[in-house]
Amino acid sequence: MAALLSSSSFRVLLLVLAAAAAPRPAGAGPAPRYAVADLPAALRENAHAVVRQQQEALVVKSVGRTVETTRRAVTILDEAGSRWASELVYYSSLNTISYFRGAVYDATGRQLRQLRSQDIRDISLSDGFSLATDARGRVADLSQPTYPYTVEFEYEVVSANPLFYSTWRPQPVEQLSVEQASFRVTMPAGLALRYQERQLPAGAAQAKTTQGTQEVYAWEVRNLPALEEEPDGPAVGERTPSVYTAPSEFEVQGHAGQLRSWEDLSRWTYELNAGRADLPPALVAGMQALVQGETDERARIRKVYKFLQANTRYISVQLGLGGWQTFPASAVAANGYGDCKALTNYCQALLGAAGIRAHAALVRAGSDEQDIRTAFPSSQFNHVVLCVPLTQQAPADTVWLECTSQTNPFGYMGGFTGNRHALLLLPEGGRLIPTPRYGAAENRRERHADVFLDASGNATATLRTLRTGLEYDGVAGLPGLELSEQKKYIGNRLALPNFTLNKVSFQPLAPTAAVPGLTETLALTLPGLAPPSGRRVFLTPNLLSRLPVPAASVGARQSEVRLDYAFTQLDTIQLHLPASLRPEQLPAPVQLTTAFGTYSSQLQALPDGTLRYIRRLEMPRTRFSASEYPAYLEFRRKVSAADKAQLVLLKTDA
Amino acid sequence: MSTLLLRRWLLAGICSGASISLAQAQADPIRFGKIDERDLTSQNFLADSAAPAVVLCDFGRSRFDYAEGGFRVIFERVTRVKILKKSGYDYATVQVPLYHKANREEKLTGLKGFTYNLVNGQVVKEKLNADAIFREESSPNVSVRKFTLPNVRVGSVVEYAYTVASEFVFNFQDWTFQSDVPVRWSEYRAAIPEYFDYNMLMQGYEPLEVQEKADAVTQYTIRWSSTLTPGVGGGRESGGSEVVTPRVTNYRWAMKDVPALREEPYMTTTADYLSKIDFELAGTKWPNEAYKPVAGSWTKIDEELLNDDNFGGQLNRGGFLKEQLTPLLANTTDPAARVAAIHDLVRRSVRHNGNNGVVAGSSIRRAYDQKSGSAADVNLLLIAALREAGFTANPVVLSTRGHGRLQTNVPLSSRFNYVLAHVALPGGKEMLVDATEELAPCGLLPYHCLNGTARLILPRGQESRWIELAPNDRFLSYRQINLTVDEKGGVSGKVHQEHGGYLALMQREKLRKLGEKKYIEELATNHEGWNIPQYTFKERDALHKPLTLDYEFASAGGEAPAGTIYLNPLRDFGTDKNPFLHENRRFPVDFGAKFDETVMVSLTLPAGYEPEELPKGLVMELPEGGGRFTYGVQQGPLGLQIVSRMSLSRPVYSAEEYAYLREFFARMMAKQSEQLVLKKKV
Repeated sequence: MAALLSSSSFRVLLLVLAAAAAPRPAGAGPAPRYAVADLPAALRENAHAVVRQQQEALVVKSVGRTVETTRRAVTILDEAGSRWASELVYYSSLNTISYFRGAVYDATGRQLRQLRSQDIRDISLSDGFSLATDARGRVADLSQPTYPYTVEFEYEVVSANPLFYSTWRPQPVEQLSVEQASFRVTMPAGLALRYQERQLPAGAAQAKTTQGTQEVYAWEVRNLPALEEEPDGPAVGERTPSVYTAPSEFEVQGHAGQLRSWEDLSRWTYELNAGRADLPPALVAGMQALVQGETDERARIRKVYKFLQANTRYISVQLGLGGWQTFPASAVAANGYGDCKALTNYCQALLGAAGIRAHAALVRAGSDEQDIRTAFPSSQFNHVVLCVPLTQQAPADTVWLECTSQTNPFGYMGGFTGNRHALLLLPEGGRLIPTPRYGAAENRRERHADVFLDASGNATATLRTLRTGLEYDGVAGLPGLELSEQKKYIGNRLALPNFTLNKVSFQPLAPTAAVPGLTETLALTLPGLAPPSGRRVFLTPNLLSRLPVPAASVGARQSEVRLDYAFTQLDTIQLHLPASLRPEQLPAPVQLTTAFGTYSSQLQALPDGTLRYIRRLEMPRTRFSASEYPAYLEFRRKVSAADKAQLVLLKTDA
Repeated sequence: MSTLLLRRWLLAGICSGASISLAQAQADPIRFGKIDERDLTSQNFLADSAAPAVVLCDFGRSRFDYAEGGFRVIFERVTRVKILKKSGYDYATVQVPLYHKANREEKLTGLKGFTYNLVNGQVVKEKLNADAIFREESSPNVSVRKFTLPNVRVGSVVEYAYTVASEFVFNFQDWTFQSDVPVRWSEYRAAIPEYFDYNMLMQGYEPLEVQEKADAVTQYTIRWSSTLTPGVGGGRESGGSEVVTPRVTNYRWAMKDVPALREEPYMTTTADYLSKIDFELAGTKWPNEAYKPVAGSWTKIDEELLNDDNFGGQLNRGGFLKEQLTPLLANTTDPAARVAAIHDLVRRSVRHNGNNGVVAGSSIRRAYDQKSGSAADVNLLLIAALREAGFTANPVVLSTRGHGRLQTNVPLSSRFNYVLAHVALPGGKEMLVDATEELAPCGLLPYHCLNGTARLILPRGQESRWIELAPNDRFLSYRQINLTVDEKGGVSGKVHQEHGGYLALMQREKLRKLGEKKYIEELATNHEGWNIPQYTFKERDALHKPLTLDYEFASAGGEAPAGTIYLNPLRDFGTDKNPFLHENRRFPVDFGAKFDETVMVSLTLPAGYEPEELPKGLVMELPEGGGRFTYGVQQGPLGLQIVSRMSLSRPVYSAEEYAYLREFFARMMAKQSEQLVLKKKV
């Protein structure tokens, strides 16, 4: 489903790797390097690996050519750090590797061996979903059987794609410390470097110097102790130093552009993809006929989108400039497939034929991706969607279309593209606009269950669960799976020890619903759900919705708490008891109202002898400081205790 | 036919060949380009409506032709697939792997394809475009041709056909009848002239609908051009041609309505369960020549391996280890202890790079110097070291679980992908030793090696024999828990847990990856409401002993003392989910090794409370001694003793036993979840 401009996403991968890279194999010199005994104790604490030296350099040769060199030495302290013992260097039709060297040293710093060319493997970096991609990599592994040891890698990549400059991130992950790391950018005369610094310690940025006609920028950090990731906290990479760089002017395969503002990037991308919207006349007429007589603007767009989804599919082909430039709409019309650019361009053309104006918009897609850095205009995107402004609405409204999915609900931007910034592509230069965000009211899970218990503790149950908004994202693909796969997926998710799934069915919400949703209906047999212990039977009425307690933290919380995902859970469970059982003890109702969320649960005995359990949990989108973490944990503990509250039934015939 | 002709045939000359199949009585099950219009409607697919796609027909044929100086295998395939859901669109994209070596490569020709759609009641047929065909170098000897069909929609029928010509006659096309979607009809035909002798291996759990074999005669025209041989006895030989008419055997296999193969827990590799037929070249029989075995016999494979410089040639090259070995051997005279010390030396000297292998990459010396190597590098070094120390050590070659089951009736060296060491100790004791796992003790067979039969290769090839890869180790866990309950229902406990055998290895690996602190954090997270203030790991490095962990935990009770306390003491120490979701299974459950799990709980009651209700004891057994579960509660002077013990006494259970196994787990878990009721004495 992920429609990526592959080259840019691999570029990101490369930079992450490069950011943790450094120095060069020694000559024949016998002098030991990187002796582990030289390491300050503070850098070994809590670390699996230590970056001993890292020198990263970006030399911009011209608007059309850059050279990146990386030298990195990392001491690997234990097995968990051994991923630093191997290196992957990316290349493609626009990026070539000039050299790739390496060496490995024992704990005393004696060189054990150098990397030989036959130790380097050449692999296809086919992403698994592309039909064709030119992404490839060279891989080397210098792992050793005993720890600690030090590896050294050095490589140079020449790029004919200066749309991207380096990102320097010397400490990208947790449990990695840094002894020394530097970054140097050399710019030719007349070309300005644009950069953004984050979390730099004092003195890290060095004064700009001049070398002949060139200008040299430099940064250096030393002795950064290892950090640890915390649950619901920012990624370590956000808490550690980084420098982002970007061109002010560039040229890719004859396509020159400026990049001083978002408008610049928008205009360049627009122009690269312009003039590729021609459709066969019959199709144009078809679109006109399709919307004829339909006066509602949204309904017209929906009809076109439905046509797109029924007649195309996503096939990714990413070769060279094709990572940024779309196939013509006529190709999609002929073949019925395309990648994100081609399908978006095609949908835009279809809408145009139907008399509806729409704009492509670049986004950084992915459910784990952070939003782009809005204050630093640069190429940070890997996907494109379509933005359709509604002209007859007051207040103004917008329909967003994901064109690569044949099943995505109309107008829905889920966890893949929602809640972030997108760059509109306009001939005059577009701006950043937010994509839709869904809150606790939209992201709902509503469950109704009927549980029929028999005297021996076995049960049958029917379960009806509606999931909407981002809750829906997780189950959107389920109806498309084969029955045994559906059962496997549902079975893995159900927090029940023993069960047989007798029936599974799905019913989507009407397409006109404000947010999409899916109702899942299950029929279950639950053998031994509540086995009698002597005269009593025990049952947790909250069969399925137990919110786990967050992991107990060791030591005080360091970073702020980010609860970015808002959601609501509603559970209603009717318990039908056999005549031989009556409740001995009902759990007390619980009501909790805090800034972190609200919770209520209660169990009632109804006049007809059934028991009704109602639970409601609402968690808002919120961020708060580390000092409030204990109060938050307390809230979660109380919710968890209430969720586990037990009902005791007594046998009346015993 | 003269041997001269034969030599030309096999070696040089510019030849061209043609083959005429004289007997092909059976009508083809599919004709490319001619579809059944009813397949474009949905009525034909009501039974398969849950499937993303259905293979309507998959038809393959392999035959030989003679071209460019040698025989080639010509494989033709026609496949037709109905797309039922959008999630089935992937079945319209096809990958064809092609093998190449040196200057020779398998060639893909005649690729064509169509997509059929019903548009306004009319069948619309669209062609596969040349610009939708791509090539990717996926590994050094394999390039993949990928293509995708146009205008695929829900309800489309896609169809493609292609031919692969291969000079690699040892690489005769295998055929897989089963898929991850249902297959209506899958048929394979093979026409094999008498010159080639193949072993055919049929496997799977689905029945054949057709199995036929008929002899006929075929014809090849052998052409050669004139050659000039220099020197004495040389001279010009004129070109020419000759027609040969060997006997050919036409095979035909087909399966009907093959269900999709679904992945389930405790399988070796899905490839072991798929219904398929594999071909392995056993020998050739040229006219007027004796039968020439190619793979021949296991004895021959043994000898080839022993003569291979990268296998047999490495076994006695451990001399460079003398310096390291001498002090180790001086420490002890006990043979088992010496083996363990050598195992330890090898394990610490060379890191396993994760690759399998039967023969050394270059030499064991180089692997030792590089401190890194494949399983073959590591274990051949181990054998050499053991020999250098005076032991009778020999290689055992096998196929790992992921590589598939070894069939001893088919002698094929390619079925091996791993080697480890066999040591004969004084007194008739034998040991299997592997040095690839950093955290496994000497004598523990790696889990991925638990795959049935292996071959012990002895220096005198004839003495080589089969051995069973029966593990001595189990999945062993033992927990002893002292629980103290307070009158609010809060529980504090001291836990002593031991993980032995395969669980010890798994837990040591987890501990190495996470570190002690994160290991304990994860333990606490998995047990709701637990707080773990104290913990001690023991025997982290004593690999032959169970990994032990002693810890204390506390979990808070209610706000106030309770008259009645309900307690589920095994909730945190039992099995939390039945691993067997589906009601039935068509193939065996392969755990690899036996299980043994014991939980003993000593419960101290709060003062003034007594048990009101206690769960009843239970003894349950699987048929034919396949396993046992016992559960008992006893009241003692200070409190209660609960003992729960589960053992599975076989590594593999048949499909027929599946229902028992599933029920065994269900009943065990129901028993373990029963609660105790404590009441305040009045």
